[in-house]
Amino acid sequence: MSNATDRESLPESTNPIGMDGIEFIEITTSKPQALGGVLERMGFHPIARHRSREVELYRQGAMNIVVNSQAADIPRTVEPIERPILSALAFRVRDADAAFRRALELGGWEIPIRAQALELNIPGIHGVGESLIYFIDRYDEFSIFDIDFRAIPGVDPNPPAICGLDFFGIVQYVGVDRTGDWSEFYAQLFGFQVIPDDVRFGIMPRGLLMRSPCCKFYLQLIEPDGAAQFAPMEEHLQRIGFATPDVIGATGVLEKRGIEFLATEKVHTSERGALTKPLLGGVMFELVHAPADHTSARP
Amino acid sequence: MNFNDFGIDIASLAGSLETRLAAARQSGFTQVMISASDIVGHPSSTAAAVRAIRESGLRVTGIEALRDFEGLSGKMHDYKIDVAKSMLALCSQIGGRLLLVEASASVHADADADKIARDLRKLAILALPMGIRIAFKGLSWSRTVKNFTGAAEIVSLANCPNLGLAIDAFDVIAADTPLDDLDLIFPQQIVLVQLSDFMLQEIRSTEEQVATAAHFRVFPGEGAHSGQLAKFIVKLEGIGYFGDYSFDVYNSDYLQMPAEVIADRARRAADWLGETVLRRTLPVPNMERLTIRGER
Repeated sequence: MSNATDRESLPESTNPIGMDGIEFIEITTSKPQALGGVLERMGFHPIARHRSREVELYRQGAMNIVVNSQAADIPRTVEPIERPILSALAFRVRDADAAFRRALELGGWEIPIRAQALELNIPGIHGVGESLIYFIDRYDEFSIFDIDFRAIPGVDPNPPAICGLDFFGIVQYVGVDRTGDWSEFYAQLFGFQVIPDDVRFGIMPRGLLMRSPCCKFYLQLIEPDGAAQFAPMEEHLQRIGFATPDVIGATGVLEKRGIEFLATEKVHTSERGALTKPLLGGVMFELVHAPADHTSARP
Repeated sequence: MNFNDFGIDIASLAGSLETRLAAARQSGFTQVMISASDIVGHPSSTAAAVRAIRESGLRVTGIEALRDFEGLSGKMHDYKIDVAKSMLALCSQIGGRLLLVEASASVHADADADKIARDLRKLAILALPMGIRIAFKGLSWSRTVKNFTGAAEIVSLANCPNLGLAIDAFDVIAADTPLDDLDLIFPQQIVLVQLSDFMLQEIRSTEEQVATAAHFRVFPGEGAHSGQLAKFIVKLEGIGYFGDYSFDVYNSDYLQMPAEVIADRARRAADWLGETVLRRTLPVPNMERLTIRGER
């Protein structure tokens, strides 16, 4: 494999599952066309459809977003409703089965196999709320999308990214006093590490920031504060962050495509980052100026 | 006093699940400890039991008890993981945030501290996404961990934020454990304190302790060790414990008496503790959270 050299340079302790970025992020909704419209305005293109499930692949540069509208068939997973919900993260790893078995050994909660005949069985565990975390090791010579998906005819399978947009990370809302629990979860099962409080990216600095062992992906854990502490809230994945070397340029292009960004006194577009207004009842995307060591998710 | 700090273990009460929940509520309790067997043993269905608990308006102190879990290997370990997952799922369904785990009495259990800590850590990680804490309790007849100091060592070794200790006053009094041992415990490690007394002046053998623990407990204030119990609670407050107290009174006679009568006795025990022993500060209105921020 092409990343053999990188693998050897990462000792087991710092990258226990050989993580290598994000293969896809899944969003579930009962209105896939409405979400597809938003994703297209954000610069994504529909590329392929799943062979047996109501699932569609959108791509932009190195980023894959999977739109799922299949009814939930296993417990503790997202049932499609109109409002889109971030429902799964797929981690690229050195050996999916080894990463999966290691996670189970440490207390991960496995999801049952649901692949149809001749489809890939993608191992995964339960994450926050009803979300899932998949482990994928086929992403360089050929990918899961080559097997389980049928390409949409006449479509460029590798559309370029707007201003170098790439996955930066995910924001997860956690309950009161739950940051310690979740940072333990991500550290223990995947080798994420907490970043010092004085290192911050983007314009939304609250919470605890963790970096993946491959240094390609970030998690931001945010507890409710003020009156929100007393409101009922289910823990969940809240928004996707995109990295770009040119936030101002990217927001300019996206605004022309019909995406609106928050412009309040506290939250407004700057060279550091930007945040879209909520779309379709709550979907938000954040743009973050890429740190110098942020590299593309592609191997 | 803050009466909401006290809960009753519905295993202390006779009758159907609904009868016992109603008795607890009628006596003024706002939280109850639930046995997993009460849920799955409901005559209608598990779903009916879950609904009864959720509709009772009572907060669930926790669910009990996972037994003989740690120290196993191979298929026995896998089997216990399945049992644990089932209990965690039940706990989550009834809105519970704590699973009580009693130290293993199984002859198959490996007593190696690292192995026990590893197993408990795995359990805690399983419980973590559901927001459930694991309360690990030593038992004098356990093969692995016999008391709260032993349990605290394992919890420290496992070092997982949602793994803590349950301390049962009965065990402390029956074993005549020095209260100064509590000075060795970080108060943040304690996630549940169970309270009960017993009639015997002293317990002479492990067999007698097992029998007394299972059949002859009484509520605080009713037994032969009120003074010791009061000192135990004052000591706990002294080291900074600020969590829940649950009356875990397993008494065969009480199970032949009406649930509401027993729930009222529990209420008197709570009043006695609250008014004469504890004297906790009332929380500021609208600030019901009692944990200290950033304590982990």
